[in-house]
Amino acid sequence: MTNELGFIDPTAGGNRATVAMAPRPMDLAGKVVGLLDNTKEQADVILETIGQALRNRYGVAKVIIRRKEAFSRPATEALLNEMAKEVQVAAAALGG
Amino acid sequence: MTASSAVDEFEFFLEKEWSDGFPVVTPTENRVQWMLTGAKRAPNELVGAIPPAMEPATVRTVAIHALMAGCKPEYLPVVLGGVQQIIRDEFNMGGVQCTMHGVAPLMIVNGPYAKTIGLHGGNGCFGPGFRANASIGRAIRLMLLNLGGGISGRASATVFSSPLRYTACIAENIADSPWESLAESRGYAPHDNVITCAMAENPRLHFDDVSTEPERLLTGIGDAMTAPGSWNMWFVSDMVIAMSPQHAKLCADAGLSRADVVKRLSELAVRPQWSVKRGGNWRPERARAMGLDPDDDDAVIKAVKDPQRLHLIVAGGTGPITAVCHGWNETSHAVHGTYDV
Repeated sequence: MTNELGFIDPTAGGNRATVAMAPRPMDLAGKVVGLLDNTKEQADVILETIGQALRNRYGVAKVIIRRKEAFSRPATEALLNEMAKEVQVAAAALGG
Repeated sequence: MTASSAVDEFEFFLEKEWSDGFPVVTPTENRVQWMLTGAKRAPNELVGAIPPAMEPATVRTVAIHALMAGCKPEYLPVVLGGVQQIIRDEFNMGGVQCTMHGVAPLMIVNGPYAKTIGLHGGNGCFGPGFRANASIGRAIRLMLLNLGGGISGRASATVFSSPLRYTACIAENIADSPWESLAESRGYAPHDNVITCAMAENPRLHFDDVSTEPERLLTGIGDAMTAPGSWNMWFVSDMVIAMSPQHAKLCADAGLSRADVVKRLSELAVRPQWSVKRGGNWRPERARAMGLDPDDDDAVIKAVKDPQRLHLIVAGGTGPITAVCHGWNETSHAVHGTYDV
C-alpha cells in the first residue's frame, strides 16, 4: 500500500485489526463463570478462592476452572471452544 | 508548498510508530524493487505469519522491512531465512513477544554466505559498526513490531526489554576458532548456509585473564551460568555461550573438543539448592517440578539440564572474555535450518 506521499505502509494494512470487547455482564447472579488457569504457580489457589467468593458474594451458580497447557502459550482452540460452550462469563487469570 | 515537501519522511515513520525509535530508510516502490533483487522468490509468496498479531509476512513485506532496516539486497536471503526460523512453532516467538522477560531471538549465522555478505563474528560482533549484523537483526525486529505487534506496553508485557531487541545477529569467528562451527556440530556440512536462533538475554561478559588451564576457566564460566533469578536454573531451556578465540584455544590446546567443553560446562554450571534459596526465583513448586525435594539443601540445581540446549560458539576478538547469554523458559526450543541464497 502506498500513500499519497509515495511511502509504503510497512504494516501492509495490519495493526488496524481490532477485536471488540465482549459485553460486560452487569450481574453475575445465576451465571456460570469460567476461570482460565495460566499454569503459573499458585494460580489454582488464587482461582479457587476467587471462585468461592464469586459464589458466596455474587450468587454465581457455578464456577468452572480450566487450565492451559503452558503460561507462555495461548490456550488451545479446543479448550476455548469448550469453555465458550459451558460458561456465560470467562476470565483469564494469572498466578505467580 | 506540496504535501510531500511539507513532510519530513524520517519524522513521518517515527510518528506512525513504524520504527524501533530510530529513523528508517523510507520504503518507496523503487527502493523496494531494488531490495527485491536480492530474493529469488516471488514477491507475493507467503513466508509466514508473525505472532502474536499474525500479520502475514510475504517476500515483499520482508523486503520492505529489510530496506527500512538498512539492508543491502544481498542480505535479504538471510532475513528471509531468519523469519522462517523464528516463526517455527517450537521456538514460541509469540510467547516471547508477550512475556515479562526480555530475551531476544539471537541469530547465529554459519556457512560461506555469511562471510560473502560481511556478517561479522569477530571483534565487537555484538555491538555497533557492522552493517550486515546491525541491519539483518534490525529487519527481524521491525517485523516483530510492525507485523507481530510485539510493542512494549501493548502486546508485550516486557519489564525491561533489552538492547538485544534492537538487533541480534552474529556470525561465528570461524577463522580464529579451533573447532568446527556450531552448524557443523549439528551435522550440517561446511558449505551449508545455516541459521540458528535461540532466545537470549544480553551477553554477560565473563572476564578471565588468569586461568591457564581449562578446568579453572570452565569453573568460572559455569558460575556465571548459574545466576539466581535466571530461568535456566528452573527450566530446561537454551543458553548461548560465546567464547573468545583465546578462551577456546586454551581449551583446545589442552585437548578439549567443542563437545568436551559443552559437557564439562554442563557439569560445572551447578549450585546447591541452599544457595539459590537465598534469593531469586526459587520456589518449592519449582524444585518439585524438577524432581527435587525442596527441603534437600544439598540437592544440585543444574543450569544446563540438556547439553543439547547449550549453544557454544566461538566469537569475538582477541582477549580473555567469554560471553554468557542466559535463556528463557522451556516453551521455546532453539531452532536451526539452512536457507537459500
